[in-house]
Amino acid sequence: MSDLPDDPDLLAAEYVLGTFDPATARQVAARAEADPALRQAIMAWEERLHPLSAIADEAVPPDALWRRLGASIGAGPPIDSGAWFAPASVAVRAWRSLAVWRGATAAGLALAAGLAAFILLRPPPPLPVAALLPSGSGAPAYMAQMQPDGTLRVIALRAVAVADDKDLELWALPKGASAPIPLGVLPARGRGVVSQNVPANGTRLLISLEQKGGSPTGRPQGPVLFAGTLHDVD
Amino acid sequence: MLVSLRAHCWNSPDWMRVPGAGKGLFDLVDTKRHPGVPDRAAEDAALSALLVQCGQGDRAAFRRLYDLESKRLYGLALRITRQPALAADAVHDALLQAWQGAARFDPARGSVAAWLTGLVRYRAIDVMRKRAREVTGVDLPDEADETPGALDRLLAGAAGRALHRCLDGLEQRQRQVIVMAFVEGLSHADLAVRLESPLGTVKSWIRRGLQALKVCLDS
Repeated sequence: MSDLPDDPDLLAAEYVLGTFDPATARQVAARAEADPALRQAIMAWEERLHPLSAIADEAVPPDALWRRLGASIGAGPPIDSGAWFAPASVAVRAWRSLAVWRGATAAGLALAAGLAAFILLRPPPPLPVAALLPSGSGAPAYMAQMQPDGTLRVIALRAVAVADDKDLELWALPKGASAPIPLGVLPARGRGVVSQNVPANGTRLLISLEQKGGSPTGRPQGPVLFAGTLHDVD
Repeated sequence: MLVSLRAHCWNSPDWMRVPGAGKGLFDLVDTKRHPGVPDRAAEDAALSALLVQCGQGDRAAFRRLYDLESKRLYGLALRITRQPALAADAVHDALLQAWQGAARFDPARGSVAAWLTGLVRYRAIDVMRKRAREVTGVDLPDEADETPGALDRLLAGAAGRALHRCLDGLEQRQRQVIVMAFVEGLSHADLAVRLESPLGTVKSWIRRGLQALKVCLDS
């Protein structure tokens, strides 16, 4: 860092200009993460220099670019394919994983880069979370969390055995509603993403035991085994 | 609540809207850039509205954003990487990052176009630096950016006109290193080779030029 300008504004200017080597750029980016004034200065320089981008000729990107982007966003946030069902401390791991989900999508690419743009982002809003407990007593069996894109992610905290001819079905009971909305059958491995809109805060989530493929009537037929309520955290 | 907003895409609260928003919103936007036509403000407002919609999971809005910005961003990336595959990678990563960050986008903090420019340039520059760019100084058009015609493209918007005026006030070498670094994504070392000047001299041109630019732009 010996060669860096002392003036934070000049530091921001050179950062935006992009003339630093990757290691130095990373150092400045890390500093800006913790220094709102530096972030502000970087943002101001991005605005100041942005009109220069008009000098580069526009070019039509290959069609494959949109297809690739469409595929990237169509899949939604990346689903962790690692093993979730460790016997010990599963709840702790799940909570940590939830915390990772919050930051991972936006931060992942930025952290990989030497130069990072982050200033237009504000802190993530709290994403409602629910722990689903057995209806009798016992430790939480499932966690559910709203995602920034409006989907609901559900993971099993432990293995739940279900007879071969049965399925577990997830339901949402919005605050004040009398009938639950079917959200779908839980995948065999106990985690999945519910893509339809789920009313957020205060909604009760239920998991009932149903015939294979889920309740044919759109209402729970079997007993409710697990339940929990979506709440904001933070 | 994010969820309910997503369900009522066109019924966003008033604070999210731009004047004239609705079905005809994008009629405000001229996708071709005509020098001299000050349409940047409407363009910025439309891009902000689109990014807000992207944050609600609206893929159609993302497609509109792509239609409006991909040619500019790809051109920018191509200028820096000079390789279509790398340029496409940079734009892909930058726009994916924009999509993923869109839910946290704060329209009050700055213009979307400037942010996207940063995302794409940083990705493209990163890729090139990691590839240990070959600087030959032979096959690259030297000082092409400095032609009056190229800088005249800044005149399309008010911010560009101010920058143009202030760049005009810099010493020729200061202006040249700043424009070359921005448009071509050149490092201090790249610039030193291209301009056949000592590294320290190049850094000094850049710093003095940037300081003078700020004084001029903020006055």
